[in-house]
Amino acid sequence: MADRALPEWLVVARREFLERVRTVWFVVVTVLGPVGMAAMIVVPAWLAHESAEQRVRIDVVDRSVDAAGKPTGLGDAFIDFANKLGLNFDTNIVPADTTVADLLTKLRKEKIDGFLEIPKDGLTGGTVIYRGANATNFKVTASIHQVISFAVRSKADHVEPAKLLALVRPVPFKARHTTGEKGGSSGQAKFIVGYAVMFILYMSIILYAANVLRSVVMEKTSRVIEIMVSSVKPRSLMLGKILGVGSVGLFQLSIWAAMGFLLLTYRTQLLGMFGVSGGHFSVPGLDIGTLVIVLSYFFVGYFFYSSLYAAVGAMVNSEQEAQQAQTPIVLLLIIPVLCVSLIANDPRSSAAAVLTLIPFSSPVLMPMRYLLGGASITDVAVSMGLLLFATAAVVWLAARIYRVGILMYGKRPSLRELGRWIRYSE
Amino acid sequence: MADDYALQLEGVTKRYGDYVAVNALSFAIPRGVIYGCLGPNGAGKTTTLRMINDIMVPDKGSITILDGMAPGREAARRIGYLPEERGMYPKMRVADVLAFFAELRGVPGREAKTRARRWLDRLQIGDWKTNKVQDLSKGMQQKVQFAAALIHEPEILILDEPWSGLDPINADVLKEIVLEQKAAGRTILFSTHLMEQAEQICDSVCIIARGKRVVEGPLDQVRKAASTDRLVALDFVTEGDTARARDSVLADLVSKVTDKRDGLEVELRVGVEPGELLAALMTAELGVRKFEIVAPTLHQIFVDKVGAEAQPLKEVQRG
Repeated sequence: MADRALPEWLVVARREFLERVRTVWFVVVTVLGPVGMAAMIVVPAWLAHESAEQRVRIDVVDRSVDAAGKPTGLGDAFIDFANKLGLNFDTNIVPADTTVADLLTKLRKEKIDGFLEIPKDGLTGGTVIYRGANATNFKVTASIHQVISFAVRSKADHVEPAKLLALVRPVPFKARHTTGEKGGSSGQAKFIVGYAVMFILYMSIILYAANVLRSVVMEKTSRVIEIMVSSVKPRSLMLGKILGVGSVGLFQLSIWAAMGFLLLTYRTQLLGMFGVSGGHFSVPGLDIGTLVIVLSYFFVGYFFYSSLYAAVGAMVNSEQEAQQAQTPIVLLLIIPVLCVSLIANDPRSSAAAVLTLIPFSSPVLMPMRYLLGGASITDVAVSMGLLLFATAAVVWLAARIYRVGILMYGKRPSLRELGRWIRYSE
Repeated sequence: MADDYALQLEGVTKRYGDYVAVNALSFAIPRGVIYGCLGPNGAGKTTTLRMINDIMVPDKGSITILDGMAPGREAARRIGYLPEERGMYPKMRVADVLAFFAELRGVPGREAKTRARRWLDRLQIGDWKTNKVQDLSKGMQQKVQFAAALIHEPEILILDEPWSGLDPINADVLKEIVLEQKAAGRTILFSTHLMEQAEQICDSVCIIARGKRVVEGPLDQVRKAASTDRLVALDFVTEGDTARARDSVLADLVSKVTDKRDGLEVELRVGVEPGELLAALMTAELGVRKFEIVAPTLHQIFVDKVGAEAQPLKEVQRG
């Protein structure tokens, strides 16, 4: 290969790429990223597994009486149903005159995990109260609620426990996500993948675009910028910088995608190593088309935000100032993330449609909406067209601010001065 | 005609708002000379050099580089520039940073690496080539900065306040490099407010103040033109001769006597020619050891031309 001179934007981009990829930090993050992803799969499964093993110690105070003033035996029925349903409850009936204060003391000393208080009118509609440190555990309270309901129904309506259980036996049921196509995958899984894609896009755009900001500020503070602009047109410098940092992002994302794919494929074996049975959901396939859409939105979205960041970097004099000045951009990125439930709950709603058209939120939200089946290819094309147009405008504006700003030291420009910078002739 | 000059400025003007930084500045630098752009701080030197390097664009006037080029990318590849604000990428390896700057100015990759190694060896920091720039001492970083300006073998070398912040050893290294570049036929333009440095190495100078050209031309011509034949350096054989001269001849013909380390410096009275003074000294049979018409130093010319208002600024370093 002949030794040829490269275009200067490429020289700049290559420097940005190599200087980042060579750092220990990059290697650590790239390796730890998938470890974190693996942890996200293993840890919840493992925790669920562990807590399922643990028995919940519950004291039952049954104060309920029937019309004749005799104890109803609701407490015993509760224990009976809990055992029949195979719940991990260690239940224990305490005398009806035990005070709540005594039980709270017991709870504080961690002798019990919680206690159930059945009131006098428990049989005729009184509210049963459960108190416990695990009252926030949805699974535990839902089970207790179900068991006490069975107990009251069986006693009040005189139904044999076995017959009652037979009556409420659940019918096999599954939710499949589809918007018209055949098959359709598990709704939960689809949501998780959509959410993960959204989150990864948000994280990588904010991380790498902010890297551009740091790089611009560093060139200013180290005063290397003057040599740079004497050799390179500011526009080439900005372009090279954005492309260089962006390819680090694409490089890292590709590594993660490959590792994530392997992790998901071999998750059963992986979970097996920790003694946990495999995940139950089938992973919805990320086909090539979807992957292209996700990566395009990353790249264009990254370009959109990193040029904004480059302009901010050119306006400030130090890292500290940059922290403040970037707040508006961070807000632009956080708002879409806060709106994520709008898309997740109804990807076909008009709110979702608007959010995925607006250029500052579409890079993060459109791939998710598309994954959830809320958007057609035409929708994607329109949104991408708008984003491309807005990006071109932002790059143009940012380049003009950048060109003037990189050589300015001192006071941060006012909006009026910014306007003047933009109007300066070439 | 254009071929004789490395650089020509023609009526170059640059404004910042209402402030005129450079005002209709013209000068031409012949090829192969060392040219000093002198002036007090804030005179417009840096702005001028930045315009030549296409960092700024003049509002008016034209800049011609080498064979009719305008400032820009092509010209940049034939210019080496050492800005006043000298920075390097602190986290890059020394050899990489040099190769990077070479490539930016059009040197192919492999050649850039070879040259980087050669320059580091030459500047005796070859052992540091795999270290990061931030690990180097300030003096070593300065050497790397010179090398970065020269690595693409430019025909014109532009140095903005090159001696500011240099220790004496690196100042000599830089001077040696500048003279060597001149010997190789290259043109050097530098700015400074240190007249002594300029006087030692400049072939030509241009003094500017408040954006305007005050004096320009080859150094010897500038000095000759500024010389008024009014100052004479004198020395006598004995102390007694000196005392007698002060009482007789000097009292008659001289308006001011200044004691110097090696004798006296006298200013002739109006209407008195240097020859008359010499004749009078001979007639009085005084033992004259030295009689020399003093050409003004660049420093004196500078102070005379730029005026007293530049003085307070002189020692203030720009932030």
